[in-house]
Amino acid sequence: MNVPTEHLLILAGILFSLGALGFLLRSNLIVILASVELMLNAANLTFLAGARSHSSVGPLNLDGPIFALFVILVAACEAALGLALVIAFYRQKQSVDIEAAAELKG
Amino acid sequence: MKDYNLLWLMPLLPFLGSILCGALHFATLSARKKNPEIGHGPGALAAPVAIAAMIGSFAVAVTAWLNLKGLDEVGRAMGVESSPWHWIDLGPFSVDLSMVVDPLSAVMILVITGVGALIHIYSAGYIKGDPGFAKFFAYLNLFVAMMLMLVLSSNLVGLFVGWEGVGLCSYLLIGFWYDKGWPAEAGQKAFVVNRIGDACFLIGAFLLIRLFGTLDTSEIGAAVIGMLDDPAKLKDLGLAALLMFGGACGKSAQFPLMVWLPDAMAGPTPVSALIHAATMVTAGVYLIARMNPVYAACPDVLFLIGCVGALTAFIGATSAIRQTDIKKVLAYSTVSQLGYMFLGLSTGAWAAAVFHLVTHAFFKGLLFLGSGSVIHGMHHEQNMYKMGGLKRHMPKTFLTFMVGAAALSGLPLMSGFFSKDEILFMTYSHGGGYIALWIVGLISAALTAFYTWRMVALTFFGEERFDVDHVHPHESPSTMTIPLILLAVAAAIGGLLNLPAVMTGHPILHGWLEPVTEVGQEVLVKLHLVHEHASHGVEWGLLALGSVIALVFSYLGFRRYLKGPEPDMSFARRAPGLTGFLGAAWRLDGLFEVFILIPVRLLSEFISAIIDKLFIDGAVNGAASIAKLVGDDTRKMTTGSVKSYAVWMGFGAAGLSLLLIWI
Repeated sequence: MNVPTEHLLILAGILFSLGALGFLLRSNLIVILASVELMLNAANLTFLAGARSHSSVGPLNLDGPIFALFVILVAACEAALGLALVIAFYRQKQSVDIEAAAELKG
Repeated sequence: MKDYNLLWLMPLLPFLGSILCGALHFATLSARKKNPEIGHGPGALAAPVAIAAMIGSFAVAVTAWLNLKGLDEVGRAMGVESSPWHWIDLGPFSVDLSMVVDPLSAVMILVITGVGALIHIYSAGYIKGDPGFAKFFAYLNLFVAMMLMLVLSSNLVGLFVGWEGVGLCSYLLIGFWYDKGWPAEAGQKAFVVNRIGDACFLIGAFLLIRLFGTLDTSEIGAAVIGMLDDPAKLKDLGLAALLMFGGACGKSAQFPLMVWLPDAMAGPTPVSALIHAATMVTAGVYLIARMNPVYAACPDVLFLIGCVGALTAFIGATSAIRQTDIKKVLAYSTVSQLGYMFLGLSTGAWAAAVFHLVTHAFFKGLLFLGSGSVIHGMHHEQNMYKMGGLKRHMPKTFLTFMVGAAALSGLPLMSGFFSKDEILFMTYSHGGGYIALWIVGLISAALTAFYTWRMVALTFFGEERFDVDHVHPHESPSTMTIPLILLAVAAAIGGLLNLPAVMTGHPILHGWLEPVTEVGQEVLVKLHLVHEHASHGVEWGLLALGSVIALVFSYLGFRRYLKGPEPDMSFARRAPGLTGFLGAAWRLDGLFEVFILIPVRLLSEFISAIIDKLFIDGAVNGAASIAKLVGDDTRKMTTGSVKSYAVWMGFGAAGLSLLLIWI
């Protein structure tokens, strides 16, 4: 028996909201990066759910999984770059608090 | 049509000479940087180069003339032509440029290269010691190349190239001593005033393209005859003719555009002789003679040309009387004589005008060169009041100058006598309104004789009014006197070219130019504009009248000023207003100032204050202050808190998603 598509979408929505809230409310850079990962994975889950529901009524469609693979790839790059930025930031500010970066205040 | 490709050589030789002289000038400049005491340096070669180019060009001109002479009547009308260069091709309208020598341009090229070569030789003596020696010859050669281009081109586009080219050279040479300040301004004035005429020329040429679909002068001439029955087209043709005459007014210094020519005397004197007397200023006369069928079809325009010519002759002659600068006398005299040429053209006597053009090139070139010799001998003194008694010091200059003066004043049997009297005779026999113009011309002729001999008496006779201890006038070197003598011979016997019909039956120049002028004549016949020639008795009578007037007024002018400039002073005391009026050439400069310069200046002030400062600056500054205002309010969004940016980003993403869904 399959998990219904709606449940998957609800789960993806919850994950995305958690990620978005974490991204907006937390001030630790590392947690913010993790929140971004969470949102990306919510998006992946939506892709896969969509692909499965499409394939169940028509011919096999691999667009969703392929997109998910791409997202994972980009997410890996983004994580590597992001963490490098975090380390550079830490060297400058002796902190990973996002509030420390306010030089562009108008 | 006979092919003769060597014709291209004629303008090409002086053009190459010009480039070479220019290179020599730069070589001199760099040599002078190393050694300021070098003098002419490599530039000394410029004179032989330029003169050789001129003599080569003259030789080609002579062979072209001989070629043309060997043809029959029909062949001459077609002319000797070089192979055409397909210059512009726009489908229905194309410009094929070729060099054509027909009887009219044959006369012109012989004058240009002949007188031009003499003046080049003279310049080698005159301009010696000037730091711009090589530059001078570069400009002079370029001028001749452009002038030949002007008269040789088979169509108006090539003519216009030469037309602008000679204008440029005139500007460069008037301002040759630009470091003195006022010559540069005079050059600018000449250029700007000429632009007015050039604009008219261009618009006229565009009209001709619309009417004829071509700018080839011989094709236009042939097409005019078929147009005579169409009043609408004739009206357009008249407008085009009028505009072309406007161009001629600028170049040939006719009223009201003549104001630049007296100022052009700021240039070196050989330039005044070559450009502002013998050749360039006659370009307008050439243009109208070349387009004679067009003008023949527009009698109203012709009469206007006659009025302008007579008025200019009169203004020039009256102004020349009150000048103290020897070159200014000659400049106003040139203006006046050009007026005679236009008067001749206006009667349909194209050949008479060309005849006067040729004799004028001889005697006015001679007079200018003579005055240059005087100025040279007097160490750059141009004021006749400070001369006097020079005949003892400069005998060769004196004798040749006398010949030139005799020709200019129209003393019997000199070249100017025949050419001027022919124009006056043609004007008289035209009848109608032309009788009034004839009277004005006659009065101007009297004035001409008067001011010419006033100039001679003030310069060469009477007491020496200069500082005898410090100024030692000397005769000029032979490079300068030999051209003077040759030109004096031409000025004396030039009348043989075209002795009046009553004397020989067949004026030579008239016969020679017939292939060119007969088209215009044919148009005049079709329009019933050909007048009865006055009887031989009348012609003899007018010749006698001309001689008497010339002799009497020459004597009066000579006699009055033999004792020095005192008559001028007493005249100035009695009529100060008139003296100032004539001395300033009828205050035409003042009229230009009031009616053109001041309005233009006021308009510029207005544009500067209202349009530029208020509207344009206002728009630019307004845009800047709007940006500043908006920026002042929106900069508050840049809080520096990354979280608030993230919120904006979220809203943005949400907004975009909503847009995607709705669309």
